[in-house]
Amino acid sequence: MPRSIPASATELAAQPNGLAPATSRVVERPGLKDLTRFLRRRKSALIGLLSFAGILALAVLAPVISPYDPLKQDIANGLKPPAWNAGGSFVHPLGTDSLGRDIASRLLWGARNSLLISISAVLLGSSIGFVLGLLSGFFGGWVDAVLMRVSDIQLAFPFVLFAIAVLGVSLERPPVLLIAVLGLTSWMVYARVVRSRVLSEREKDYVKAARSLGAGQARVLLKYIVPNVWQVVPVIAMLSLGFLIIVESLLSFLALGLTPPTPSWGSMLAEGRQYMLVSPWMPLFPGLAIVGTVLAVNLAADGLTDYFDPKLAKGQFRRVRLLGAWTANEQAGDSLLKVHALNTIFPLEGATIRAVKDVSFEVERGRVLGIVGESGSGKSVLALSIIQLLDAPGVVASGQILMNGQDLVRISDREIGAIRGKRIGMIFQNPGASLNPVLTIGFQLNETLVQHRKLSGAAARRAAVRALALVGIGDPERLLKAYPFQLSGGMQQRVMIALAMSCEPDVLIADEPTTALDVTTQAQLLDRLDDLRLRLSTSIIFITHDIALLADFADTIMVMYAGQVCEIGARDRVIRTPRHPYTQALLNSVTRTDALGTKRLNAIPGDPPDPSELPPGCPFANRCPHAMDICWQANPTLTMVESAHHAACYLLTGEGSAKVSRQ
Amino acid sequence: MVLVIFGVVTLTFFVVRLVPGDPARLMEPPGTPESIIQTVRQQIGTDRPIPVQYVDFLSGLVRGDLGKSFRGGRPVAESVAKALPNTLLLGLVSMVVATVLSVLTGIAAALRPNSWIDRAVLVVVSVAQSTPNFWLGVMLVLIFAIEFQWFPAIDMAGPASFVLPGATLVVTLFPLLVRTVRQSLLDSLGEDYVRAARARGLPEHRVLLVHVMKVAAVPLITLVGLQAGFVLGGAVVVESIFNWPGIGNLALKAIQDRDFPMIQGTVLVIAGVFTLINVVVDLTYAALDPRIRY
Repeated sequence: MPRSIPASATELAAQPNGLAPATSRVVERPGLKDLTRFLRRRKSALIGLLSFAGILALAVLAPVISPYDPLKQDIANGLKPPAWNAGGSFVHPLGTDSLGRDIASRLLWGARNSLLISISAVLLGSSIGFVLGLLSGFFGGWVDAVLMRVSDIQLAFPFVLFAIAVLGVSLERPPVLLIAVLGLTSWMVYARVVRSRVLSEREKDYVKAARSLGAGQARVLLKYIVPNVWQVVPVIAMLSLGFLIIVESLLSFLALGLTPPTPSWGSMLAEGRQYMLVSPWMPLFPGLAIVGTVLAVNLAADGLTDYFDPKLAKGQFRRVRLLGAWTANEQAGDSLLKVHALNTIFPLEGATIRAVKDVSFEVERGRVLGIVGESGSGKSVLALSIIQLLDAPGVVASGQILMNGQDLVRISDREIGAIRGKRIGMIFQNPGASLNPVLTIGFQLNETLVQHRKLSGAAARRAAVRALALVGIGDPERLLKAYPFQLSGGMQQRVMIALAMSCEPDVLIADEPTTALDVTTQAQLLDRLDDLRLRLSTSIIFITHDIALLADFADTIMVMYAGQVCEIGARDRVIRTPRHPYTQALLNSVTRTDALGTKRLNAIPGDPPDPSELPPGCPFANRCPHAMDICWQANPTLTMVESAHHAACYLLTGEGSAKVSRQ
Repeated sequence: MVLVIFGVVTLTFFVVRLVPGDPARLMEPPGTPESIIQTVRQQIGTDRPIPVQYVDFLSGLVRGDLGKSFRGGRPVAESVAKALPNTLLLGLVSMVVATVLSVLTGIAAALRPNSWIDRAVLVVVSVAQSTPNFWLGVMLVLIFAIEFQWFPAIDMAGPASFVLPGATLVVTLFPLLVRTVRQSLLDSLGEDYVRAARARGLPEHRVLLVHVMKVAAVPLITLVGLQAGFVLGGAVVVESIFNWPGIGNLALKAIQDRDFPMIQGTVLVIAGVFTLINVVVDLTYAALDPRIRY
């Protein structure tokens, strides 16, 4: 698949860490095939399912395996303790109740009744809910309106009470009545979830395409929508089964369940409660049966939820310090920030992703370092490594980040906290998401100023107004009271810059700050940044996928590919005489208007390598028009091509020159 | 909102009358002659056609009159007014304890996902979720009131009597609250604005307590509101086990006696309280999240 550079903003937004192109694959809803594999990993879900199957088998086989007729009375042998208690025997392993009925047998038959009722109720509720949800979502209109209002009313009231009221006044309570009451009070959840799934499915391209090709309503519904929405039903069913088992027992506990003397766990419990002074085991056993069954169902339900609805495991921030003193690597005269042989890795199950490989560079005061690369090149991970905010499991494995005689990867959490925001500011790609939605702009500016500059109320307010004015905001006083959602994207990013610059940091890291914005706003923001840099002599690390942006903004340009630096040098040298084929391709891909006035976009063919399976040779070899044999065998290192200009390519060292190009 | 209460009350009114079971016959001993039963029916008014009874009930409702109990003839409003504070007090105490406990537990679990604390919390939550409160209540009585005699098992008499019914309700409320706290914390911890707050050098406790909690509080408040409904529903069970003089116990007795005015009265009050709580929740919601305005 040819892939153009620069990638679109949406594609980048989908990969906030710039990691693993694998995440851009379409997530398919899992089918039943992989369930066994999933269960092998989720032990708790497996145990839950197996236990539930076991209990179900006991319930089904109750007529065969139960030692006694559950209704047979034997008053002479009443209230016998279980076998292991004094006075008990294995004739009645769990003892007998007040009428001399065998408790073990009654438990087995009770399981039969409880499960029969709750499973049937779940089937009833889920079928009604599924069908109503499908119709409601698919046809909309008045059907939808009526159904949703009815479910509103049902959800707005604890319906167990209603069930109690209905059952309380009925003298005969056959299983069918219980199933109906429990089933009819549980359809809403299915209907609502299925409906919202259908609504989102209905708008998808393939469904629209099928419709425009003239597929009938019924066909679209059955062939395209049902296969993509049914998965929620077993999940909710399992969750609601556990709940219904408890409700059924509750009803029989309150003498509102099956008509006595039919055994059920709830009624045994109620009976046991009367005799608990003499026979404390009587309420114990049915309770344990309920807890065990419901626990099994819930464990299975939790597993199913995660299986059918896998949440992307969002990385948690966790800083891991490197221990030990850093070896003497004296900071050179003018450089403010010096990164030396930095390696950042993501140890994942099965593979370790080397997101940043042996990266070194320096940033001088008041200068702009531009870092450019495709998404997945490791540039964002590099930025987060510097400020020590990597998402788990990412860690800096080796290297140094030197600033003012401190090594940022080795100092304590408290020390790095004093550097973040004060010495190093950072702006992120998505300004809307990077501002706390429920706090005002003024609050967020204020807390930052109070934290680092120890300003008091009025002084902090003045400083906040100044910071906003500095990024060109016309009415800063009014903006202080505003919430982020009230601002446009461009305004939000200005606020982010104001936040980052409010404590006048030495270094500002800007990670794709303009990607989410339109072109005009982009240009304005770049002007602002340059203005701030000149005024406050701040150094800027500007990260982008668009090399054209760096052409008039950066002092130094660093090109990254697959986690490593492939070319670094003074701006003019890199732009005018790019030496690495990747840099040449990047520059070529910039949209140009040629002599005839037509726009051309030269995409770089091929995809970057899978970061978990990097080839032994040069990572760019598979896309490189000049790849030679050696490029597949060894990874080239950076070599100086002229003063202040390094590149990592065998074309420059002459090692491969004797060999014939592969193409 | 008024519509929901009206719908629930109307539904209750007709359902109790349409299912078999004549209250008049139940009030007199078996074998009482039909003529006496008929007099009782006239006394309590169930001899009239149902629509007439309904109109009568509605006009009483407008005047604030909930009718008289079939048993003893005391005004329903009076009994309900006496029982409601007891339920609310027990419910409030349990809600507060459960919320505080689950917020602390949820934070502890969310801060180190997949650590042993997190796993232990999830196990406890699973077990608590699978334990029916009526069984738990019975077991607590068995252990702490009968075996050790630490706390009273029944009635409302002083702070000690809150312990067992309160604990039962807390265990019922706990699982869902902890899960929600944990999940909404995990969700907001992964948000960009949390990273941005850290990038500004804010100390971790400030990031958690201000930036994460303020956003995570919104779903929590909603849930606490919804849970209030379950407390009222659960009160029926817990109050009957611990013989708590509250609205749930009143409702259950009324159902058993087929005391129609009392059933209607208790259902009305429970629905009313529930709806009121939801309104309060909606308002709190708006105060916490500036994106919502009414």
